[in-house]
Amino acid sequence: MTQYALRRALTVIPVLLGVSILVFGFIHMIPGDPALTMLGERATPEKVAEVRQRLGLDRPIYHQYLIYLGKIVRGDLGISIVRGDPVFTDLMRRFPATVELATSAIFLALLFGVPIGIVSAVWRNSWMDSASRLWALVGVSMPIFWLGVMLAWFFGVQLRWLPTGFRLDSATDFRSWSNFVVLDALLQRNWAVVWDALRHLVLPAVALATIPLAVIARMTRASMLEVLSRDYIRTAEAKGLPQAAVILRHALRNALLPVMTVVGLQVGRLLAGAILTETIFSWPGIGLWVYESIESRDYAIVQGASLFIAVIFVTVNLVTDLLYAVADPRIKYD
Amino acid sequence: MRFITIALVVTALVLGTDGPAVAQTFVFGAQGEPVQLDPAIITDGISSRITRQIYDGLVKYTGATTRVEPALAEKWEVSRDGKVWTFHLRKNVKFHDGAPLDAAAVVWNFERWWKSGHPQHENLVKAGQTFEYWEAQFGGFDEKSIVSRVEALGAHTVRITLKEPQAPFLANLAMFVFDIASPTAVEKWGTEFGKHPVGTGAFRFVEWKPNQEVILEANPDYWGPKPNVKRVVIRNIKDNAQRLAALKAGEIHGMEGLNPDDVTVVRSDLNLQLLLRPTNTTGYIAFNFRVKEFQDRRVRQAFAHAIGKKAIVDMLYGGTGLVATQFQPPSLWGYNREIKDFDHSPARAQELLRQAGLTRGLSEITWEDGKKEPLVFWYMSRSRPYFPNPKEIAEAMAADLARAGIKAELQTTEWAVYLDKRKNGQMPLYMLGWTGDNGDPDNFLCYFFCSPGASREGFYSNQPLGDLLLRAQTLTNQAERAKLYRQAEQMIHDDVARVFVANNEPPLGFSKKVKGYVPSPLGDERFNTVEVQ
Repeated sequence: MTQYALRRALTVIPVLLGVSILVFGFIHMIPGDPALTMLGERATPEKVAEVRQRLGLDRPIYHQYLIYLGKIVRGDLGISIVRGDPVFTDLMRRFPATVELATSAIFLALLFGVPIGIVSAVWRNSWMDSASRLWALVGVSMPIFWLGVMLAWFFGVQLRWLPTGFRLDSATDFRSWSNFVVLDALLQRNWAVVWDALRHLVLPAVALATIPLAVIARMTRASMLEVLSRDYIRTAEAKGLPQAAVILRHALRNALLPVMTVVGLQVGRLLAGAILTETIFSWPGIGLWVYESIESRDYAIVQGASLFIAVIFVTVNLVTDLLYAVADPRIKYD
Repeated sequence: MRFITIALVVTALVLGTDGPAVAQTFVFGAQGEPVQLDPAIITDGISSRITRQIYDGLVKYTGATTRVEPALAEKWEVSRDGKVWTFHLRKNVKFHDGAPLDAAAVVWNFERWWKSGHPQHENLVKAGQTFEYWEAQFGGFDEKSIVSRVEALGAHTVRITLKEPQAPFLANLAMFVFDIASPTAVEKWGTEFGKHPVGTGAFRFVEWKPNQEVILEANPDYWGPKPNVKRVVIRNIKDNAQRLAALKAGEIHGMEGLNPDDVTVVRSDLNLQLLLRPTNTTGYIAFNFRVKEFQDRRVRQAFAHAIGKKAIVDMLYGGTGLVATQFQPPSLWGYNREIKDFDHSPARAQELLRQAGLTRGLSEITWEDGKKEPLVFWYMSRSRPYFPNPKEIAEAMAADLARAGIKAELQTTEWAVYLDKRKNGQMPLYMLGWTGDNGDPDNFLCYFFCSPGASREGFYSNQPLGDLLLRAQTLTNQAERAKLYRQAEQMIHDDVARVFVANNEPPLGFSKKVKGYVPSPLGDERFNTVEVQ
């Protein structure tokens, strides 16, 4: 198992190298000069040339790539060309916000998605099944920006039950040292802030959970249906086990493997930043940050963040693979 | 049904219906994240909105105008030849860190902006920053600058000597970039000063939460009118619709960047009020003079007659636009009231095209190198103050042009690419505009017309116009300068160098609880006059 994990970890290196080349190539290939974007309407040819030189953009592209690669090997993701801040520090400051949001969304998606899938499979073709399948279909096809705006409008503007965006109220005076606001507030036992932060988390988490919830529900249903038709389930039922035990202990555990794969992919996706949700709810995570950086052609941030996101994806996939063994003792890695 | 009712009631109780408690706090919704809070190196309005609360300059613009009035300097004299300026500083003013504001501090700031060898200049340049506005307004650094000497004459008097008179000198000094920072704080923080700003302004910096908000608190020792609120929070809400939602939900008290369509929403909401920023921005259509057809003035005139500016302004600016007749907006003192705009007449436009030999109208253009291609009319993909919804405006203009026999294909691209194409002179016909920096006509006209033939301006070349504008730069008498700028506008009009379309008064939305917010044409408003009831 350890050996397998190590071997898998080593394969990460060529993947990341590939990603770095792709990202570097793509961002330099798309038209639009960062120097010009910085200077806007006021650009003169002299100023543009000066800024390009300062940013090192006047050097040959392979030269720029090698410099970049040399830096990442040393753990330096570079400096934002717009703000001049180290990309790594910025990343670490924003990532907790994304983690907080993604975890809440996945929590909601699992909390509702798995039971809906089970109910749907066990009472196949009942009204509950139809309702949950319809719900899953709507969830998968729902445009998130529309849903987000509607949630904010209905619960924020009309009912005023929940805030329309941000992590804390403007009147809340709270300094979070790790940027995991809920966690920090819990550790400091500042219940008012915990409450405030949770209220701010509800709408973006619900908006973000919609698609994973639907996907998980569908996958759970499909997987459960397959397992429920197996012989050992019939045997379990025949020996008189209560239905709950058959479903939860025998069927669900076996049905969970494909669901885990889906959850792994969703976690990776959500951690990579939910651009639309973060923009709609002014959630200061990496999605919003990368989006703004692409607009301003901040090469350093786009490259650094993409690489980071690739690491996250690869890691989550690795962890998911290893978790298979936990869920299913029949799987062994050697 | 009963279950749903109970569920809703329980949810309401659990979540609570209390809006944010904002007693004594003014929350403003900005369109994005500030870049830095060191005024000397920033160029964007989002950052300067915040620095204007923290710092003061020697002089400042008065309320809703672009006139200049005393700030840290109580009064000043200028020598007869316009080269020597003596400023008398206000006494007993302190920076937020307790250091005194005196002549030495002012001289220190000038040297930091001006001298490339100054340690606090050098380190920022090494960190990739530039003192861009100093270079633009005062001719460059060290020997290249128009400033030749800055000295302290005693504790509260500063003398600035120029190599030659500079007409917009005071207007330049009032710009946010030339606000005075605490030398002790700059030396303490070095390149990180932009995250720990210290000035003499009405508000002190408290905290900057990246991608979220900047928090300020009232400065009880402020030399000017004391703030009416204890705390200011400037929140970064990128999306225009969401910013309006936050305003309607009572989470923020005021906002910039209203969509034109939302102007009516604010107007019809009993809890909200609409304020207009006096215009300081002009949107235009530019011609590429490497296109043979556009070298004929009659063709350019045809464009000017073809476009129904009034209908565009009425329909697409949410009631906040004005028809532009020239480059300067009417708020500037160089504005020429005598210019008679081209009347909207498709028939006249067709006639002019015929006279120019384009009997079948214009749908194909010829570049100077002989290459022919269909006429493409470029519009920007991003909303700008002068063209709040560029796509709709472009569509309306293209329809007007079609009625006059000019068939233009509309095309857009991302803002970064757009600027690239404009710089390289690749667009035959395109929309662009300008927002003034300092209320001086020179800032509008010279950037565009002082260097004839530049690719970024579509290779337009008019030497007499350039000479006239350069002459206006050296005069100090405003009346004489105004005369030259009016003359320049007439020349631009007669030559149809551009088709000026609209000025805009960018709308701001506020809660009715807010009083005393005075929008400045330069986006220069100070929050110490703001009251939240």
